[in-house]
Amino acid sequence: MVDFDPAIINKTFETTEPVPVSRDRIAKFCEAIGETNPLFTDDEGAKKGPYGGVIAPPSFATTFRNGRHFFEHVPRFGRRGFDAGKDVEFVAPIRPGDEITLSSAVKEIYDKTGRSGTMVFVVIRSTLRNQQGEIVAHIDHRFMNRP
Amino acid sequence: MATVLDLHAHSEASEDSRAPVEAYLNWINLRRAQVPVDGVVLTEHRQWNASADYRALEDKFGVMVLKAAEVETDYGHVLVFGVTDEMARRFDFTNIRIPAQELVDEVAAMGGIAVPCHPGRPNIGLYEHYQKKPVLENVIAVELLNGGSRKGENERAAELIEKHNYKATGGSDSHLVSLIGLCATRFEADIKTIDDLVRELKTGNYEAVDFRPKRKPVPHAIPAEAS
Repeated sequence: MVDFDPAIINKTFETTEPVPVSRDRIAKFCEAIGETNPLFTDDEGAKKGPYGGVIAPPSFATTFRNGRHFFEHVPRFGRRGFDAGKDVEFVAPIRPGDEITLSSAVKEIYDKTGRSGTMVFVVIRSTLRNQQGEIVAHIDHRFMNRP
Repeated sequence: MATVLDLHAHSEASEDSRAPVEAYLNWINLRRAQVPVDGVVLTEHRQWNASADYRALEDKFGVMVLKAAEVETDYGHVLVFGVTDEMARRFDFTNIRIPAQELVDEVAAMGGIAVPCHPGRPNIGLYEHYQKKPVLENVIAVELLNGGSRKGENERAAELIEKHNYKATGGSDSHLVSLIGLCATRFEADIKTIDDLVRELKTGNYEAVDFRPKRKPVPHAIPAEAS
């Protein structure tokens, strides 16, 4: 079993400054990914939709960055490793005018064995909240370490 | 009446799979000719969920769902069929170094069966561990066909099975919906429950079956008769 201090689990180690979401920023994101759904691109059309106005596409949640010191807090096991992927859970729509804050904590540490040997995985959960404190998304960053 | 089961599959409950159980069953239901399995056994990595209940999905799609576990031992990965609460208390399924001989013996004593899987795989297969350590006692069956095997791995499994006279199973080891049921096990007996499955794995007649599509040979750029 991988050895670590269980007290680090779920302890928030970083919270970013709020990042404003402008209508223009959503438009540029849609343009960049080729998004044409009127829910995300058409102010008049989106008013008739379920959200009463334009919202950001779900993948917009992944554009918010963690703070400068994020990696200093990610536990490491061994000297080698790589980014093993991300899981994103969309909870509530992000709207123009929102201000988004990220809080990050170690969600899980576990080890497993595979063809290439033993691996230790560290999962960091970044929680995105809007200016009302409402959670809009969770992003789980998975890092693989080779002990 | 024969029963065909995919004995090795991972749903989104495993951290490295994104496949919902419902999608697996829907896939099988829509492709009965290509994937002629009667059911799947969910073998989630390093865990046992006693309360997971798939009866509504079984009824919806007409595909059986049984539950087992894939654990990690000092002889590689092992499928445990017939998991009980007592078993889950005795062994920490999150431990990646469970003593394999203890697992084989105590699982059997508690009414289940431990079946080493993908034995031809480097690091986590029985074949490589047998080169360095004593042969495990009381192993009845190992996985011959694994849908996730690379070139040579199933061949090493076949060699191991012949040498030690093990029974042979098959499973897709699917982590993706489209791979479910591509390797499976055909039992002579009718299987409806996990107890039936454990009984048949221990004493019944069965064989590994391969439903993977055969690769078509790559055509010559120049027809042979013209060259």
